[in-house]
Amino acid sequence: MKRIFGILAISLFIYACGGDDTTVSTDDTDTVTPVTFDRSAMLTNWADNIIIPGYQDFVAKVNTLEAQVASFTDTPNDLTAVRAAWLDAYTTWQRVSMFEVGPAETVNLRLNVNIYPANVATIEDNITAGSYNLDLSSNRAAKGFPAIDYLLYGLGEDDAAILAIYNGTNGDAYKQYLLDITADMKTLSTTVFNEWEGDYKETFVANDGASATASTDRFVNDYIFYFEKHLRAGKMGIPGGVFSGSVEPNNIEALYAGGISKDLFIVGLNATQDFFNGKAYNSSAQGESLASYLDELNAIKDGADLSEIINSQFDVSRTVVSALGNFEQELAINPPTNFLNAYDEVQRLVPLLKVDMVSAMSISIDFADADGD
Amino acid sequence: MKNYLPIALALTTIAFTSCEDDDPVITDGGTDIEVTAPATYSFERDGESTVSFSGQTTRIQMAQELVSEMSDFDNATLASLSNMFSNEENPFENEDLNASDKSIKSKVAASTDYYAGDASGSATVKAFFEARLADQVNEVFPAQNTVAEAGVAGQIADGESTRYVNAQGFEYNQIVAKGLIGALMIDQALNNYLGTAVLDEATNVEDNDNGVVVEGKSYTNMEHKWDEAFGYLYGNAADAANANATAGTDDNFLNKYLGRVEGDEDFAGIAQEVFDAFKLGRAAIVAGDYELRDEQAEILRTRLSEVVGIRAVYYLQQGKNAIEAGDYGAAFHDLSEGFGFVYSLQFTRNPNTDAPYLSTEEVNAFISQLTADNGLWDVTPETLDAISTAIAAQFDFTVTQAGS
Repeated sequence: MKRIFGILAISLFIYACGGDDTTVSTDDTDTVTPVTFDRSAMLTNWADNIIIPGYQDFVAKVNTLEAQVASFTDTPNDLTAVRAAWLDAYTTWQRVSMFEVGPAETVNLRLNVNIYPANVATIEDNITAGSYNLDLSSNRAAKGFPAIDYLLYGLGEDDAAILAIYNGTNGDAYKQYLLDITADMKTLSTTVFNEWEGDYKETFVANDGASATASTDRFVNDYIFYFEKHLRAGKMGIPGGVFSGSVEPNNIEALYAGGISKDLFIVGLNATQDFFNGKAYNSSAQGESLASYLDELNAIKDGADLSEIINSQFDVSRTVVSALGNFEQELAINPPTNFLNAYDEVQRLVPLLKVDMVSAMSISIDFADADGD
Repeated sequence: MKNYLPIALALTTIAFTSCEDDDPVITDGGTDIEVTAPATYSFERDGESTVSFSGQTTRIQMAQELVSEMSDFDNATLASLSNMFSNEENPFENEDLNASDKSIKSKVAASTDYYAGDASGSATVKAFFEARLADQVNEVFPAQNTVAEAGVAGQIADGESTRYVNAQGFEYNQIVAKGLIGALMIDQALNNYLGTAVLDEATNVEDNDNGVVVEGKSYTNMEHKWDEAFGYLYGNAADAANANATAGTDDNFLNKYLGRVEGDEDFAGIAQEVFDAFKLGRAAIVAGDYELRDEQAEILRTRLSEVVGIRAVYYLQQGKNAIEAGDYGAAFHDLSEGFGFVYSLQFTRNPNTDAPYLSTEEVNAFISQLTADNGLWDVTPETLDAISTAIAAQFDFTVTQAGS
C-alpha cells in the first residue's frame, strides 16, 4: 500500500507541476509538449512479440527438461542429455526472468525457480525425509534451476560418483526429488504462460495510461529492478564482493555446472537490451519500445540521443564482460580488478535507466536500496 | 483492510501544495515561519524519538577495537585483524559488535556518489587497508625488539613514548586510523548519506512530505539517512542530542579531529557550525524544505572536508618541524598521522565541483613522494612544504593557519 501510495503521490506531483528540470531535456523549449507516443502500441508489442513468445519458448524448454529428467531417472546411466536440457531451459529463463509482472508476480516465478546458491542442506533434508511441500517459501532455495544444478553436477566429484548416487540405495529418493522439482517448474511456468495467453494480455494492454499503476509504469519499474538487483547485483556484484567487500565465488549462478555463469549473464544482458529496443523474441523485427518512446520524447543527454547512449552502454557492457575469462577464473583473482571494471560498465546502465530514462518518461521508481546503516 | 481515505486526503494535499515555490518557509495560519534548528539534535514523532544511527555507532566502535588490536603485539594475528575489519568469526571483545551484521569493510569506499560506479576503485581502497593490517603483522610485529633505522623496521623513541614503525618509518596503525576517517566516516557521511542520490532515492521525498515512516520505525527514510550521516561524526557521543558539548572526545576518528581543529584559534567555531548544520538540515527535512537541507549539506561537506585538509597539513608541518629539529621519533609519528589524513583527502567533497578537494591521483602522487626510497628517513622539509602548500591551495585556509 505504501508503495502504491508513493507512486501515486509522485505521479500526481509530476502531473501537477509539469516539466521539472532534470539533466535530461525532453523538449527544446520551455513548453510542455503533449506526449504523442502510443503506449498501447508499445504494450502490445511487448506482449505479442516478446513476452508471450518468450514464455512459450520457456515452457517448451521446461517440457523438454521434464522429458529428459524422466528419461534420466528411468535409466540413470548418462547425464549428458538431461544436463543439456537443463542448460537450454536455464538459458531461456534468462530471457524471461525480467517479466516479473502480472501472472509471474502473482506466483513469484523468479523466486521459485532461480534462487541461488541452492540451499544444499535443505535439499538433502527434503530428500532424506522423502516428503516435502514445494509450495513452502522455506523450500524456494531448494528447488528450481539451482537445485537441479546441484543434483546434476554437485552430488559427487565426477560423473561416475553422481550416477552412483542415483543408482545407490537412496537413488529413488534423489530421482523423485529431481522429478518433483522439475514438475514444480513446469506447473509454475505453464500457469504464467496460460494467463498471458488468456485474459491477462488484454488487461495488460488495456491498462495503457500514464498513472503509476498503469502497465508501462509498473513494467518499467520491474524491468529496472530486474536489471539492477538480479542481473547486475545477483550475477556480478554480489559474487564480485561489491557490496560486502569480500569476493563471494560461491554465490555465482550455476555454481556446480561450472564455467557457464558468464554465459547466462550475457544472455540476460542481451535480453534486457532487446527488450529496451522492442526487438521481437528470436527475430530481428522491432516494434514500439522504451527506445522509440525516448526518441519520441526527444530525450537528449549531453547532446546525444538518450536511447543511443543507453544502447552504446549496453554494447560496451557486453564487450567488456565477454572479454573476461569465465567468472570462476576472474573471481579467483583478489581483488578481481578486471571483473569489477566490467561490473562498473554494467553499473553505468543503472543511472541511465533508473534516473535519465524514467525522468524523461515521468515514471517514478518505487523501490529503494535497503542496505543502509 | 485497506483504507484509502488517508491516501485520498494526502493526494489532495499534494495536489494543492506541490506547486508551491521553494522558499524556506512554512506557512502557518498566514504567518511565515522560518525553519529553525532546535536547541539539540532531538526530533520526535508522536512522542517517540525519530533519531537513529546505531549502525554508525557500531562501526565507530569496531574501528576503535581494530586500531587498538593493531598494537597488541602479544595477541593480535593477521586473522584477528582481518576478521575485525570484516566482522567475521566473532573477533571483537564487545559481544554486541560480534552480534551485529555490520562491518567496517562493507562501508569502506562504498558511497553511492563516489563508488556506485567504481567497484574496482572501492576494492582497491579496501585492499589498501587489508594490506596495511598484514604489513603490521608481517613487518612490524617481528621487529618489536629491534631498533628502527633506515630500511629496518622496529621501535623508535618519541619522548616518553615508543613508536613501532616499518622500514620506512611509518606507523601502520596511524595510517589505518586516519585513513578510515576518510574512507569510512567522510565517504559515508558526505558522499553517501548527505547526497541527494541517497536522500531523495525512490519515493523518499513523497514519503517524507507525507510523514510515511519506514515500516516498523518512527522515522521516514530521508530522516534516517540524514541521521546516519550525523552518526559517523557523533555516533559515539554520550549524549548525541547535545553532542557538541563533548565534540573531540567521543572517539578517535572524525569526532576527535573536529575537536582538534576547533581548538586551533584560526578555526574556532567550526564545531558549533557543523553541529548547527546537522540540526538545521534535519529540521529542514522535517519541514520538507529540501533546498535548506541541501544548503546545510554543503556546509557540512565544506567544513568536514576542511577538517581532513587542515589536519593533513598540520601533521605534515609538525613532522617537518620535528625533522628539522632532528627528532625522528616525533616526526615519524606525526608524519604517519599525516599520511593517513593525506590518504583521506581523496574522499573529501568539494560542493562546488562534487569531486574530492584532491583526487586519488593527486593523493597517490603525494604518497609516492612520502614513500620514496627510505621513506620518512629521507623525506625533506622541502617536500613536506610542497605537499602542504598543494593541499592548502585547494582549500580556503593557508599552510600557516593549519600548520600550528
